[in-house]
Amino acid sequence: MVGQKNVTAPSLVQYHKPGFFKLVGQNKALLLMCLPAVVFFFVFSYMPMPGAYIAFTSFQYNKGIWASPFVGLQNFKFLFTSGQLTLLLRNTVLYNIAFIVLGNFLQLLFAILLNEVQCKQFKKTTQSMMFLPYFISDVLVSLLVYNLLNYDYGFISNLVRSTGGEMAKVYQMAGAWPFIIVLVNLWKGTGYGTVVYFAAITGMDSSMMEAAQIDGANGFQRIRYITLPTLKPTVIILFLFAIGGILKGNFGLFYNLVGNNSMLFSTTDIIETYVYRSMMNSFNFSQSSAVGLFQSVVGFFIVIGANAFVKHLDPDYALF
Amino acid sequence: MNKAASTPAPDFKHPSHVRLDTSDKIIRGFTYVLVTLFSLMCVLPFWMIVASSFSSESAIRLSGFTLWPSEVSTYSYELLLRSPDQMIGAYVVTIGLAVVGTAVGLFIISMTGYALQRKDFPFRNGIMFYIYFTSLFSAGLVPFYLLIKQTLHLDDTYWAILLPLLMNPWLIVLMKNFVKAIPHEITESGKIDGAGDFRIFYALILPSLKPALATIGLFLALGYWNEWYYSSLFLSSQVEYRPLQFHLYNVINKVASLKNSVAGSNVVLPTDLPSETLKMATAVIATGPIILLYPFVQKYFVAGLTVGAVKG
Amino acid sequence: MKKLIALLVAVLMLVAMLPAMAESTIDTSEHVVLTYLVTGDRPTDRTDEVLEIINGLLTEKVNAELEIRWIEWTNWQTNYNLALATAAGDIDMIGTATDWLDAWPNIQKGAFLPLSEEMLQTYAPITWETVPAENWELCKYNGEIYLIPEDNYAQWTNHGFMYRGDWATEAGLENGVHSWEDLGVYFQYIKDNKEGVYPWDVDGNGSSYSSQLSGGWQTSHTGNILIEGLPVSLFYGESKDNPYTLSRYYLEGDEFVNFAKNMKQWADAGYWRTDVLNYSGQQDALMKEGTSGARQHHTETWTGFRTDMEKAIPGSDLRFFFFGEEQDNLVSLNITHGAMAIAQTSKNPERALMVYDLLRNDEEIYRLMMYGIEGDMYTIDADGYLERPADFDSATDGCTFNWWWGRNDDLGLRTADRDWASIDELYARYDEIAITYPYGRVVFDLSNIQVYLDNISNVYNTYMPRICFGLMDDPDAYVAEFRTQLQNAGIETVMTELQNQINAVYGE
Repeated sequence: MVGQKNVTAPSLVQYHKPGFFKLVGQNKALLLMCLPAVVFFFVFSYMPMPGAYIAFTSFQYNKGIWASPFVGLQNFKFLFTSGQLTLLLRNTVLYNIAFIVLGNFLQLLFAILLNEVQCKQFKKTTQSMMFLPYFISDVLVSLLVYNLLNYDYGFISNLVRSTGGEMAKVYQMAGAWPFIIVLVNLWKGTGYGTVVYFAAITGMDSSMMEAAQIDGANGFQRIRYITLPTLKPTVIILFLFAIGGILKGNFGLFYNLVGNNSMLFSTTDIIETYVYRSMMNSFNFSQSSAVGLFQSVVGFFIVIGANAFVKHLDPDYALF
Repeated sequence: MNKAASTPAPDFKHPSHVRLDTSDKIIRGFTYVLVTLFSLMCVLPFWMIVASSFSSESAIRLSGFTLWPSEVSTYSYELLLRSPDQMIGAYVVTIGLAVVGTAVGLFIISMTGYALQRKDFPFRNGIMFYIYFTSLFSAGLVPFYLLIKQTLHLDDTYWAILLPLLMNPWLIVLMKNFVKAIPHEITESGKIDGAGDFRIFYALILPSLKPALATIGLFLALGYWNEWYYSSLFLSSQVEYRPLQFHLYNVINKVASLKNSVAGSNVVLPTDLPSETLKMATAVIATGPIILLYPFVQKYFVAGLTVGAVKG
Repeated sequence: MKKLIALLVAVLMLVAMLPAMAESTIDTSEHVVLTYLVTGDRPTDRTDEVLEIINGLLTEKVNAELEIRWIEWTNWQTNYNLALATAAGDIDMIGTATDWLDAWPNIQKGAFLPLSEEMLQTYAPITWETVPAENWELCKYNGEIYLIPEDNYAQWTNHGFMYRGDWATEAGLENGVHSWEDLGVYFQYIKDNKEGVYPWDVDGNGSSYSSQLSGGWQTSHTGNILIEGLPVSLFYGESKDNPYTLSRYYLEGDEFVNFAKNMKQWADAGYWRTDVLNYSGQQDALMKEGTSGARQHHTETWTGFRTDMEKAIPGSDLRFFFFGEEQDNLVSLNITHGAMAIAQTSKNPERALMVYDLLRNDEEIYRLMMYGIEGDMYTIDADGYLERPADFDSATDGCTFNWWWGRNDDLGLRTADRDWASIDELYARYDEIAITYPYGRVVFDLSNIQVYLDNISNVYNTYMPRICFGLMDDPDAYVAEFRTQLQNAGIETVMTELQNQINAVYGE
């Protein structure tokens, strides 16, 4: 990866810009290789995309999306006039930042540390164990958390009491939930996320590592100067991807953990859960589409900005 | 490289004969403690699910989850095994979807990833943006539902699950990133030998992509394995066997979604709601086998494969 | 619309051409399959077998057969609405309701076909005859009929508390629980004397109880009458003597504060779990195990659960305290609590009506659907009660059609195992005091106030669960804060608009 830099010069020096069709002709094979994916995204993403127009209509079932009356920004109003928008934005964004930063930190940490371990059996076993939480669905996670933390007979509550302590009423403490939710998220996602970094380390040029060792680099130095730089592009790409969804929350996680417990809303209500509760009151597809569109547009501009920034630093790492 | 090759079972990065200095010892000591703790944290709750699936219903209701069932009961499993058809059918469907979807998806993703990282491919940024854009904007529920149901007529068929999960922008970018790590010289040398792009990809690139294929294959397979959302939208009860996680989701979630939405209204609740232990037992059965997949995939992360080997 | 007009014209022409229209003259030469959309899980019992028999009869009589499309309980709101929103001739008959399945909004969104009187007369003649004209009035939107009401089925789904008669007697309430004060005495007795028993456990998480509990206290302490079909249960009429003036119960006055104080006191006394807002237990099982003292649900649930409890704990004598008992404040069930609609895109609306007419009014078909095959799945005993075979397991041996949109007491059977003496006693009391739902003719148009209502719902969902379970430090201050928030969310605008719409129908 690091050595690769030297060979990135374009293989063909072009003196004049060839025409579009000529370019197509020259790159037939590569274009063909992209074709299935291009068709796939056309059908499953671009074809329905104009339907997002539903967000600007009062959707009439008998008329369909296109013939339904246009209502402008009416469907966006409920979110913006709710008086909750600031809170929702704050919660959604802060949780996402915590998930991205702490999540990637832990994943990197475990990937690098496990790479330093010699004992294969230990590596294998612990990696598999770390993967387990990923399989526990959000509904089950919420049952687990309730059974650990509830005041009356929770596992942890009992533990605290048996040691003579006084258990807090966690389900009435809004302040505790950012920690719980972040913890649960890390617990669920670390094993899965680590895999990406494992694979990236595996793809690393091992001769560099050996050379470093022979040169007498110690463990910290190897990590600092070889492993980490190798993982940099992966980190950046993960970051660019995550940031596009900065306004999108993991509905399943939040809804299942918190439910409709309004005592916790101040620290746990995110855009998705708020919209869900509105939907349950009055089923309005246009409204939920409007919110989705809002989240996408904001995400889009943030990503364009972030991508331009990365491109400015090093065009190699930019997404597009 | 030679040294590494002479080691009988090369753990590919750290030939064990290199002396350990203090920093290595610190790192290793720290790693063992931290990783062990975290792993235990991951296993304990899972163990609680297993333990409660073997617990009696009343014990769970009285005292919640414990590390060891106070009254051991296999009732839930007996109940599940009484009519195993549904479960077996769900297994077959899920495995079938995962195998086919992963194979096809991997093929397309790796091909696309390779083409998109080629620096001499003038359309790469355009196509990348075209693909990436879809991760930002989606049409929303109704248009997508209409596409599957009225345009493509895929509702109540397994295609409605298989196709949408074949690939996503994230996996393509990840693949592109992995392929990037393969030195460009390989493509160049292939070109000099007069190989076409397809041949270069197939004969030279794919073999050195094993960790990437393993990773992305794992993600794809897990995507199929954990899928319940599309199933809930597109596979109505007309479909005899539905994917495992949807089956599980139904068992676990039915009570909650029913009670929380209907309790206030005037419907008489059905009386055959699944019990806590049954939910746990279903979860155990539905999760079991996929756990074995990871160790299998894992060997590609530690196998002696290196880019250097190709180079050397 | 065009289709509709064409259809109407066709029907009118038919009527004109054949003055003495008899069923036999309707052209049913083409065999059609009708899809019936219904909420519920696909049954695992003998439904398919029964459906086959019913389809045989339907084919013979009107050359049609029925296919059931189940909207499973998992994510049912989304899936039900998606099915309606994207219907393209793939559904014909739809089970709906004005209170829990959003029939009016769906009519406003164009999901259902308007049914002309001629159509109903021609294709569903028995139903047309048996539903009184005033009931058809309650099924109209903009002057057209959209719903066929379930108006000949005695059912009480008014909420209240089920409690154990044996424990109430021990607690000194020999005559049972008849007020919220009695309920408090009952709860306290359990708290003091029944180790390990929660006086009351919620079933599903506590947040879904707001409208029942708060409304329960309200109907027990005032004459207020709930106006249905609105997204928040904050809108009540003043009283049965003055139903068309909106009550300001939630906006001012002490009674609501009293409720908050009472619930706070009960919460502090430990009548329910600390984590009630997240607890999701199985209330029926806890009751049967004797570890819970009360269950909050409606009369219909009680009628069946009383039998179950008696089997589980003989002598438990499960009784029912209904909300509004203190004030004799009770409203009969709205007849569109269950209703059948025809899909706007149905290709065979005429045949769908013909099939509905049979399902609702043909004794053989009706009983097949409701109870299964006579002689095999049930028998009728000498007193006319329905008796199930000894080894009958409803989960595997019965049949399930979730036919909640046209049950018919003229053809129905009472199950032998229920305690009809107790049930009839309560029903008699109900019949004595109940008034007809007074707002049946108002169909609210919420388009101008939807945004306010969304914000009000949010305030409601935030404050109400805590008030209902006493989870606040100072009830006075908390209620005051709630009221301020309602004002900020625009409740006055909504009240004015709703009042105007009520006045427009019922006069000032």
